[in-house]
Amino acid sequence: MRKEIITLNRRGLLKGASALGATAALSMPHIARAQDNPLRGKSIHMSILGIAGWVPSRLGVDLAPDFAKMAKDKYGYDVTFSYAEAPFSQLFQKAATSLATRSQEYNIIISDSQWLGALAQPKWILPLDPVIKKNPALDVEWYAPVVEAAYQIYPDGTKKRWGFPQEGDTMGLYIRKDLLEAPGEAAAFQQKYGRKLPMTWEDFEQLSFDDFVKLIAFFNRPEKGYNGFGGQYSREYDFISCPSMSVMRSTGGDVWDPSTGQIEGIFNSSSNAKALKSWVDLLKYQPPSAINYGIGELIDAFAQGKVFSAMQWCAVGPAMIPDALKDKVMVVPPPGFPDKSGKLVRNYIIGGQPWVINAFNDPDHMQVAIDFMEWWYQPETSLSYAQHGGNPCDKATLSRPDFDAMHPWYRTYKYMLNYSSDFWHDPAYAEMLSTQQEAMTAYATGQIKDPQHALDYAACRQQKILFDEGVATKQPSGACTGMRL
Amino acid sequence: MRLASKASSPPRRRQSFTEFLGRREVMPFLLLVPVLIFFIIWNTIPTLWLLGLSFYRFSLTSGRPPIFAGFYNFDSILNDSAVWLGLSRTFLFVILAVGIETVLGLLLGLLFWGSQKLPGRRVALTLLFTPMVLTPVASGTFWRLIYDPTFGILGSIFRGLGLPSLNFLGDAHLAFGAVLLVDIWMWTPFMVLMTLAALASVPKAELEAAEIDQLSWWQRLRLVILYHGKFILMLGILLRTIDAFKTMDLIYDMTFGGPGSTTEVIAITLYRRAFEDFTMGWSSALAVILLLISIAFTATFIFVLHSRDRKQASLAEEGA
Repeated sequence: MRKEIITLNRRGLLKGASALGATAALSMPHIARAQDNPLRGKSIHMSILGIAGWVPSRLGVDLAPDFAKMAKDKYGYDVTFSYAEAPFSQLFQKAATSLATRSQEYNIIISDSQWLGALAQPKWILPLDPVIKKNPALDVEWYAPVVEAAYQIYPDGTKKRWGFPQEGDTMGLYIRKDLLEAPGEAAAFQQKYGRKLPMTWEDFEQLSFDDFVKLIAFFNRPEKGYNGFGGQYSREYDFISCPSMSVMRSTGGDVWDPSTGQIEGIFNSSSNAKALKSWVDLLKYQPPSAINYGIGELIDAFAQGKVFSAMQWCAVGPAMIPDALKDKVMVVPPPGFPDKSGKLVRNYIIGGQPWVINAFNDPDHMQVAIDFMEWWYQPETSLSYAQHGGNPCDKATLSRPDFDAMHPWYRTYKYMLNYSSDFWHDPAYAEMLSTQQEAMTAYATGQIKDPQHALDYAACRQQKILFDEGVATKQPSGACTGMRL
Repeated sequence: MRLASKASSPPRRRQSFTEFLGRREVMPFLLLVPVLIFFIIWNTIPTLWLLGLSFYRFSLTSGRPPIFAGFYNFDSILNDSAVWLGLSRTFLFVILAVGIETVLGLLLGLLFWGSQKLPGRRVALTLLFTPMVLTPVASGTFWRLIYDPTFGILGSIFRGLGLPSLNFLGDAHLAFGAVLLVDIWMWTPFMVLMTLAALASVPKAELEAAEIDQLSWWQRLRLVILYHGKFILMLGILLRTIDAFKTMDLIYDMTFGGPGSTTEVIAITLYRRAFEDFTMGWSSALAVILLLISIAFTATFIFVLHSRDRKQASLAEEGA
């Protein structure tokens, strides 16, 4: 008996030792990593540059304490974060002037998707293919191909990756559900237009642009203190360009040929001029100040009940739907445009921003930046980001059965990822955008009367920019000589 | 002989460095050294750098080194319709802003000068000068809000009067006037200040003589006040002209140069091309051209200032 007990104890001890050994073996990589990590015991401060007032950007830093805890446990170093910010229109300027001096003032930058070329070409940001090869966890499966094309690749059509998607973003149509569902509206709409008032997400999925115009005309009630629609028309940054180019692309047009750098004849097509006119014509269903609306002004107008509907980025969902409008707003796909067969086409401009890593980081900051990225794409981090209202891009999170219901804009965001694309990942993008904004707003504000002239002017100048840069093979045509707004 | 001569003359003591520095002819140069260092580092070197860069094709974001292009940038600027439009808009802005500010400043200045015993004059003057001391960005922001047709107070007043709410900054026909008005609101006090300074320079005896001679108000203004105060007023006008020519922050904050390009003055064009497009060579060339225009203004300013001295000198000569 005694012997048996001893035997049992021995067995127990052996079992315990085995279990302990197994546990130690399992946790060994972490311990070993922490022990061997050259950063062990160090304190590192990381600076992130992001977009001012942009919730998903801010979340990158707000969630960082979780990373700091993980870094301490797993790698053995202390890390703190600070956040520098600038509005969209000044962010590139802030990043570029710092990076041009080879500074590591900002270790990680939240860039806009079009800037990849401008940041990658001067080699200011870290090429990521070797990093991903060394850290396979960073080779994430994305929800849609546009994610890689928009947030990672430069030059277009290659496989060279420079960014990680920080936040995905698409356009959505924010609708005041309470006004839409008010008693009598459906019957009145039916009586006026002889068709059913769209009420559900599925109804809006089938909504054509022409029917959408009827809808906003019906709800355009300035006498009651609100208008039918709100869109972006401001000259600042890319505010009028994004929705205008969305209408252009959805109606079969394009903005350039990336393989030849050709713009003239593509961007200033008659179809695109018609599309620009369509977007500007919507101003009659909007508040008088809509001509100056950018993202912020549109948020104010919608959140304060000045408009029935708004075409706005999904990323600003938390600001568009304040507590006062909770359960009163639905976010649906923006209208489609029927092709020749009658099938609705949507090809909207994608929003969103990638993370890029400063190429001038010292080895310690570079390692922390890579560790941070690895942590960012862990399933639990991605889920937490989604729960806080950020827009993740990984397939695992977006395919969760509960994803669509997490926030009112998530279903539309996910849907529109399949119907969105980016424009110009070219180093000269800022110059091209500036001239395009000038031309489009000249037409929208009545400085010039002809949308075709606005596009001709922009196309000529953009063609010259790309030719001077060596991207376009053709010079602007003779028709461009002396062209002015 | 040589030895004797050497012995007779007192031995010359070697001058110490501190003594050298303390000499009358050295000290002024020495005192200039700090400011010269500052001037060379912050003014001369950047200006020379700017001048050099203006002959290169260089985009900060292209990843390519600057390429020498001779006068290509200057040629491109002189053939750019947007630049000419920007320049003409700037000159129009300068002429209208400075002209209206001068007239209003003169009138208000005379009003304040003639009401020295009125109670509350100091408070009124302080309030009047407030816009001038505000930063243009702050002024631009709150005027943008005032002008907003949906949320702004001006739109609210218009609606209250049963008038349509005008979109001052969004209408291509109204925006230029709207930003001009803000500049006038902001800088008229400066011209009031200059007018008061000019009036203070008028000899009291001559004013009293004008009163005894029963000169009309207009004669007094033209023959006495403007005669003595015109140099200070000219100084004000020239300072305002140089400043209005450089206006950028106020307009950019209100309209970003829009709608379209209706409020894009040349300083905004320069800012856009340099710090939004990063075409550094082209922008440097434009900056050099604008620098030459500013130098022309400054030369006029110095000429006007010196003309007073010249006139007084010639009067003195005639008197002698």
